Amino acid sequence: MKNTHQVWVWIEHHKDVINVGSLGLLGKARELAQQLGGGNVAAVLAGTDSPQITEELFSYGADDIYLADDKSISLFDSESCAGFVAGLAREHKPEIMLWGATSLGKEIAARAAVKLDTGLTAHCIALDIVEIDNVTQLAASVSGWGGNAIIRIICPQKRPQMATVKAGIFPPARFEKRQGGIIRVKAAQSPARIEVIEVITAPERADAPEQAEVVVAGGWGMSSLGGLEQAAELAKLLGGSLGGTRPSVDAGWISHDKMIGQSGVSISPRLLITLGVSGAAQFTSTVQSSKFIMAIDKNPDAPIFEMADLGIIGDLPEILPRLIEKIKAVKDKK
Amino acid sequence: MPGDIAVCIKQVPHPDCLAKLSLDAARGTVNREGVPAVINPVDRNAVEASLRLREKLRNRVIALTMGPPAARKALEDALAMGADYAVHLCDRAFAGADTLATARALAGGIRSTGGIALIICGNTTIDSGTGQVAAQLAEMLDFPCVTDIEEIMPEDGASLLVKRAWEQGDIRVRVRLPAVLAVNAKINQPRLPNVLDIMAARQKEIKEWCAADAKVEAGCVGLAGSPTQFWQAGEFHARRQGEILRGSPDEMVAAAVDKLKKLELI
Amino acid sequence: MDFNLTREQEMLRDMVREFAQRELAPKALALDAKGEFIHDIIKKTAELGLVGIITSKEFGGTGMGHLARMLMIEELSRIYASLGFFFQTGQIGMYAIENFGTPEQKQKYLPALCKADKIISTALTEAGGGSDPSAIQTTAELKGDEYIINGRKVMISEAPVCDLAIIVAKTGDKFSAFIVEKGTPGFTTSGKENYVGLRSLPVGDLVFTNCKVPKANLLGQEGKGLAVAIGGISAVGRTGVAGVALGTAEGAYAAAVKYAKERKLYGKPIAELQAIQYMLVDCNMEIETARWLCYKAAVLLDQGKSPRDAGDDITRCKLYSCDIASKVALRAIQIMGGYGTIPQYEITRRLNDSIELFTAAGTQEIMKNTLARSIIA
Repeated sequence: MKNTHQVWVWIEHHKDVINVGSLGLLGKARELAQQLGGGNVAAVLAGTDSPQITEELFSYGADDIYLADDKSISLFDSESCAGFVAGLAREHKPEIMLWGATSLGKEIAARAAVKLDTGLTAHCIALDIVEIDNVTQLAASVSGWGGNAIIRIICPQKRPQMATVKAGIFPPARFEKRQGGIIRVKAAQSPARIEVIEVITAPERADAPEQAEVVVAGGWGMSSLGGLEQAAELAKLLGGSLGGTRPSVDAGWISHDKMIGQSGVSISPRLLITLGVSGAAQFTSTVQSSKFIMAIDKNPDAPIFEMADLGIIGDLPEILPRLIEKIKAVKDKK
Repeated sequence: MPGDIAVCIKQVPHPDCLAKLSLDAARGTVNREGVPAVINPVDRNAVEASLRLREKLRNRVIALTMGPPAARKALEDALAMGADYAVHLCDRAFAGADTLATARALAGGIRSTGGIALIICGNTTIDSGTGQVAAQLAEMLDFPCVTDIEEIMPEDGASLLVKRAWEQGDIRVRVRLPAVLAVNAKINQPRLPNVLDIMAARQKEIKEWCAADAKVEAGCVGLAGSPTQFWQAGEFHARRQGEILRGSPDEMVAAAVDKLKKLELI
Repeated sequence: MDFNLTREQEMLRDMVREFAQRELAPKALALDAKGEFIHDIIKKTAELGLVGIITSKEFGGTGMGHLARMLMIEELSRIYASLGFFFQTGQIGMYAIENFGTPEQKQKYLPALCKADKIISTALTEAGGGSDPSAIQTTAELKGDEYIINGRKVMISEAPVCDLAIIVAKTGDKFSAFIVEKGTPGFTTSGKENYVGLRSLPVGDLVFTNCKVPKANLLGQEGKGLAVAIGGISAVGRTGVAGVALGTAEGAYAAAVKYAKERKLYGKPIAELQAIQYMLVDCNMEIETARWLCYKAAVLLDQGKSPRDAGDDITRCKLYSCDIASKVALRAIQIMGGYGTIPQYEITRRLNDSIELFTAAGTQEIMKNTLARSIIA
């Protein structure tokens, strides 16, 4: 049988909302499938058959959806999920499988990799199709040792090639709607060795940097501001989220869940404004998918300017109040 | 709880020295020379969690690691904290392992140790940071697995109640034994060994096992048993052809806002 | 010759380093400002087996030895010298009791001291001067089964908080050592001096007015009290002070190196300026020299040398370490420019602590006298 579904994406969802990382991966999967010669992209879904979700999957890049027919399979049950997805992969032999590097997704991916006896590369920051020794394959880039190096990992002999990716690395993109189908697949629950007693959903983090369209990121250089107020004001003015680098979290200015960087979240907003961020690789490697980066720092040699689309070299106490005032003026005109 | 607790630990470069590591770009291996090694930070939380369970359940805690001869030090730290004895999977055949091959070696170690009812790991390491080994180990042993654990409460002898974190909150889960748990740093504060514990640690046994002792085939572990391979390494850079503004603060801000407006970013 | 620590010593050092990071680093500034005795933190060190580190297991100690103790004092003092200094003063008395006490005295006092349930002071100094023991005026007269003690000891570490004290008093024309417990009628403590450094260890006076002490509290033989006190002060006090000085210098030096690498001037870190580099080199050389003098003295004691036989090495480590601690602290202040003297940068504390060490357990000049006598003997 011809292998038509070359790139698969495991879909994570909760309460009828698809994880933003899963949506981004569908878009990336399209790109990879094209480079592989035009194969299809399939979303692998368990635990729901909500039309709202399936519609959304089609519009974010899925050609087809493999749906576990047993709706009672819970995403919290990594054994059953891994069993379902591995069985499916054995039958249809995808080239590549992608997973969100979430707390639950990693567990399922890891178990599935063992079941399929294949390689799994964690926390990738880039995925490319390359040709090595006449074999077209996936090169998964991960950052190493504090982010100063990029390491490209391959899985030359085993299939599928599997990778996990943090939300925010690949921003979701809408595609023309596919003529896809929903393929219902028999799925069996594993013997219940794990029983979910209670799911406590934390209050929605409305201003989570990884979800925001606009992010203001503070770095160590914010110390010259004598407080957070102005940075917060700028974020509010732009309807964005205020996050920060490791030093600004360590200094207690930014809460830990808003830390941007390899030990925190990855972001890909439309606009990123950095305030006093010098641009260590541990930070820059996780914001590189941002559409537009504007950097403000007083050190002209700061590496952040090398990756910025627009740079202002100056003291924050001089620049920031003027910037806020000017943006206010623009907004007021509208 | 019938059976012992195995705590899997890893020796890693000192967190303050990660930037000093250099890469052998040809072989894809890390040059660790001159960089002090320590027990992976969250693995100490795993040891602490094991010891606290032992205090309630009265079983033994066995520290397990796979690594070069120097990794013995990490086991000594675990013994000083209070582990009863240790197993060191130490064989050239284990070198260069990816997560799958690492999990295979650990699974061999667990099987050969025998009588393990619970395996506790740290959630992730600071060097490679995949966070995959615990779940892969569980799959190989056909145990259930829960990761990102912030709380463990023993129930009857057959199960544990745990609280795990995930992106959207917490989940309380009952897990049947035998099982693999991966804990995060919030679960506890690892104890400091006292002077007597430090002195007693050297009297405790560290079993050194090669691949054959762990009953794993040399071809299934280490570099030979790893499906993923290093291909290339490079320095990270994400250059953009950006524009750097010049002039007075007023001029720069005016130009910046103009540009943001033109691009419809504000 | 092997310059390596044993694995146990290495683990001890790592443990103490982490304890200092957890328990001292976040609070050092506030503790110093407050200037109160840190009994709660000392209790925690006791739980870790640190207070009894040179006391044998038989009496509740952990018996790890003098080098282990040196490493511990060095690590603690690197972050907060007051705590390091507690082990200097506190362990003198413990050492004296273990080496000169009766089996009953050891059983009675050492286990509680190892747990830090009780705090002990050792008191020699009087208003007539600390460097000259023959100037001691405090008297102890034997009447029946009791000694009647009269006199005043001044500038005694932990005096305001001690539960017992070892004091040296005149018995006839010789000197004898006694253990005096808090609550003994006629024994009071007075005053608390406001010193500029080592501020978490209160210093004050011990006052004896017809204080009746049972004969059983004589420590060592009558008339041999100076040997009791000097043995402890040398083996434990001087090495301890040297360890505090070493750690204090290391703390100041580490801050200076960090600052020099971060602070930019003329477009580059000041660490690239030769003037700064030379200052760092001097600090580095002095610290390394002090460290090996300290370790050597401790190793000799661990090898079973008596305080007298290890005397020259003990003298050298105390003299040199205390000499360089303030020099290093001053250079650190210089390197840090205007920030150097802001207390929040924690260098002035190092300087203040370091200058307290000159006089502790024998002044620098007494050290020189002692060494000179040995050289020309």
